[in-house]
Amino acid sequence: MTYEIFKHFPVLAIMCYFLGAFIVTLAGKRRVLRNVVAGAVMLISLSLLLSLVVPVMVNGEIITYWMGNWEPVEGYAIGIAIEVDALSLFFGLLVAIAVALAGFYSFRYITQDDANGPFFTLFLMLSGGVMGIVLSGDLFNIYVMLEVMTFAAVGLTAFRTWNPNAREAAFKYLVVGSIGSTCVLLGTALVYGQCHTLNLAQISAMLPGNMNPTMIFAFAMLFTGFGCKSFMFPFHPIAADAHGAAPSSVSVLISGVFTKTGVYGIIRVSYFLFRTMGLSSMQTMLVFIGCLSMFVCVTMALNQHDFKRLLAFHSISQIGYILTALGLCSAIGIAGGLYHAINHTLFKGLLFLTAGAVLYATGTTYLDKLGGLARKMPQTAALFLVGAFSISGIPPFNGFASKWMIYQATFEKAAETGSIGYALVTVVCVVTSVLTLASFIKVGQSVFFGQLRPEYENVKETPLSMRIPMWIMAALCFLTGLFPDLMIKYLLGPATAAVLNTARYIDAAMGAGYAEATAYFDSYLAEPVLTFAGTWDPVSWLVLFVIIMCAVTLVSLAGKSGRGAVTLTDDAKHATFFGGEEAQYSHVASGDLFWGFKHNLRGYLGFMSRAHSGVTNDYVVWGVCAMAVITAYCFIFM
Amino acid sequence: MEFLIKIVYILIFPGLLFSTVFGLWLAGIDRKVVARMQKRVGPPVLQPTYDFFKLLGKETIVPSSAARHTFLIAPYVGLVSLVVTALFIPIGGLQAFGGMADMVVILYLITIPSLAIIFGGSASASPFAGVGVSRSMVTIMAYELPLILVLLSVGRAAGGGLVTFSMEQVTLYQQLFGSFLLDWRLIPAALAMLLVIPCEVGAHPFDVGEAETEICEGPLVEYSGAPLAVFKLSHAIKMFIMTALFAALFLGGISTGMVWLDVVIALVICTAVTLVCMTLLHAITARLKVEQVFKFFWTVVSGLALVSLLLVWFVD
Repeated sequence: MTYEIFKHFPVLAIMCYFLGAFIVTLAGKRRVLRNVVAGAVMLISLSLLLSLVVPVMVNGEIITYWMGNWEPVEGYAIGIAIEVDALSLFFGLLVAIAVALAGFYSFRYITQDDANGPFFTLFLMLSGGVMGIVLSGDLFNIYVMLEVMTFAAVGLTAFRTWNPNAREAAFKYLVVGSIGSTCVLLGTALVYGQCHTLNLAQISAMLPGNMNPTMIFAFAMLFTGFGCKSFMFPFHPIAADAHGAAPSSVSVLISGVFTKTGVYGIIRVSYFLFRTMGLSSMQTMLVFIGCLSMFVCVTMALNQHDFKRLLAFHSISQIGYILTALGLCSAIGIAGGLYHAINHTLFKGLLFLTAGAVLYATGTTYLDKLGGLARKMPQTAALFLVGAFSISGIPPFNGFASKWMIYQATFEKAAETGSIGYALVTVVCVVTSVLTLASFIKVGQSVFFGQLRPEYENVKETPLSMRIPMWIMAALCFLTGLFPDLMIKYLLGPATAAVLNTARYIDAAMGAGYAEATAYFDSYLAEPVLTFAGTWDPVSWLVLFVIIMCAVTLVSLAGKSGRGAVTLTDDAKHATFFGGEEAQYSHVASGDLFWGFKHNLRGYLGFMSRAHSGVTNDYVVWGVCAMAVITAYCFIFM
Repeated sequence: MEFLIKIVYILIFPGLLFSTVFGLWLAGIDRKVVARMQKRVGPPVLQPTYDFFKLLGKETIVPSSAARHTFLIAPYVGLVSLVVTALFIPIGGLQAFGGMADMVVILYLITIPSLAIIFGGSASASPFAGVGVSRSMVTIMAYELPLILVLLSVGRAAGGGLVTFSMEQVTLYQQLFGSFLLDWRLIPAALAMLLVIPCEVGAHPFDVGEAETEICEGPLVEYSGAPLAVFKLSHAIKMFIMTALFAALFLGGISTGMVWLDVVIALVICTAVTLVCMTLLHAITARLKVEQVFKFFWTVVSGLALVSLLLVWFVD
């Protein structure tokens, strides 16, 4: 087979990160050497995964690699498998890209911290853990990687040890995160007890014939565990603390990549292992949780006074979109959800990096203390606008393309099931989208526009090495939004097909015909067809926009001819208008904004602020309650 | 030939030139009729056009504390995206660029001009603009909920058992089965849409974001010269686009067989809708407070739209 050589790539991609994690420690205080090693590792992993695009995405191969060549014996998987189908590769690419960009940004960014020695060790451990989860074909291996990832992330959250908030956030993260880890471990143990195997493919072949109350409990545990890792409602408050306190490049990973492993886990558990997504009760549960995450977190975000905390709440809100879309169990829903997953990684990464740039330049991310930075950091402001437009779903940026698919998926689901509830889900999605826009206008007005604070008179634009990763992310935000067709053809289509085609995954690992022999799989499904309820052609839009922009420019240039000149000097005429009074510093920002909205929803917003008390005990109670409710729900409706 | 026709669509009708002329004319009509209703003589119908050209010739002052690039670019981005949106809305069955953007895309495209005003004002660094930005955003939040409910109702009704977002499908359905305004189930949605239009355009009594007497036109306070002219023009074109959207959604069934006549009828409808939902409301109401606007839209108007959605969903 011509693909023989590719078999080794996935495991090498994972190993690179872990090897790199230990080698950078050897570099000690030699910063250049350390950066070279870390950079090389990240680029090698990225290129290894990119080289898999052709065999896996285009030609539809599924790569199986048995560690130590322990192949299945008599239909039983006894070794650890690395199994890469289109879904795994999709998430793997997302991880590798985010890690590479965040890593290059960190080279300069973390020089401000005194003790930056262990940073890259933890950073690469986190990356390796995440990569291990998405490429692994073994349930226990996933759990191990989950722990590696969680502890690296906890360490990175507390990286700025001088900051008491960081230590507190890390503690909360550790405690609440361990609920998730425990659930996953318990679920794994139960599944192993039932199936006597840990191989994902074999479990998914055996489970349909072995569903009993224990397995329902195991499902509930695994679902809650991965849900906790994706910070879905009600696990969201710890995300806000962790993202807010961690260095920005780590927030990119926690928000863009770490949470995606939770989503990936939920897909693997619900669509592959237990194949419960066919049940309308499971669809309802996932959509309901998604909508709650979406709406609760966006309203919490509107109330925040810290740039990064605000972004953190938006992360969960966007995860809500992804969960909702995945809960629909239709081809367009899954494709839309996965599309949003990659878009979220890109635009949220970009936004966290701009927040980091603001912190680097001014030393704070507190919205009430900033203002007018666009004059000093024009490029960062422009990049922020790209990120803000993407996340708020302003065409033609990528957030719109995926949200638009999710709207259609929910609305089509409503027509298909005849249930108006799904139409209301569409409404919730749109309202969340406009609230997202509002909170980014708040950030724009508070941080980048408005009046410049006197103390930031000498602020400088961030260094080039930090701007380049941001520009790359911005370009990707634009391109992924501009070519949804190509995205669907090369990434989303194969990944969606992989989600729906469990039998192919099983056969690839266990030998051809294994899935059919279990008698629970009819045959391979045809390529899923995406049916669209509407049309959106971003390229044509852009062409029209450019043509008309040229026409307007020509007209205005022709009409200029000396009159209507733009003037810019520093005199009374160019001072800010104060109704005839003497000019003074006056910046309308942050908490001053959106009074009418806050006033009308004061009951709800006040309740939400009080509920998010910041006490770890409360959040643990929420987590345990969620676990109990999900378990009860599964027992009643499954 | 094909290419030339496209260029004509883009630059002349219904693109740049036509939407400019017609939008400014609508704005003039609006002002004239309001004046007559208030027993004033009022300005000539072409006054907004005169104002536009006068402003173009004026000096553009950029406040020294403004973020210059955003301040100057925002008006043009808003205007251009608005004109592009005009190409996607069927006018009397004539679709310049059908099959490129559906209802939901249009919902998002029409927020770009509002965003342009918001970020332009934000970049001017004026506290008046800050207040205006906050208020404009609250009005966007206010009307977005009823607007999506209206679109979903229409999408359900036009889907015939299924659902659709496509504007062509909506037009086609109405040409076959009659305009939606005559469908009793969709009348509440039409009413809601008539209330959404003035809010989206920023007309009385929902113009809290640009309240001249309170916050000196909010986001526009520091604008002068050509950028101000462009914003005023965008405002006028928005009147045209929103009324055309209403015509396409609820009166798309009018078809005489002659395209030019259909277009003329559609433009008459645009004018009539402007007179009803902007001029009449302007003449008889005073400006609401921002929290009243929000409450009104999330309760009464959304309620109306929701009633329609329920009716089209459950009543055949």
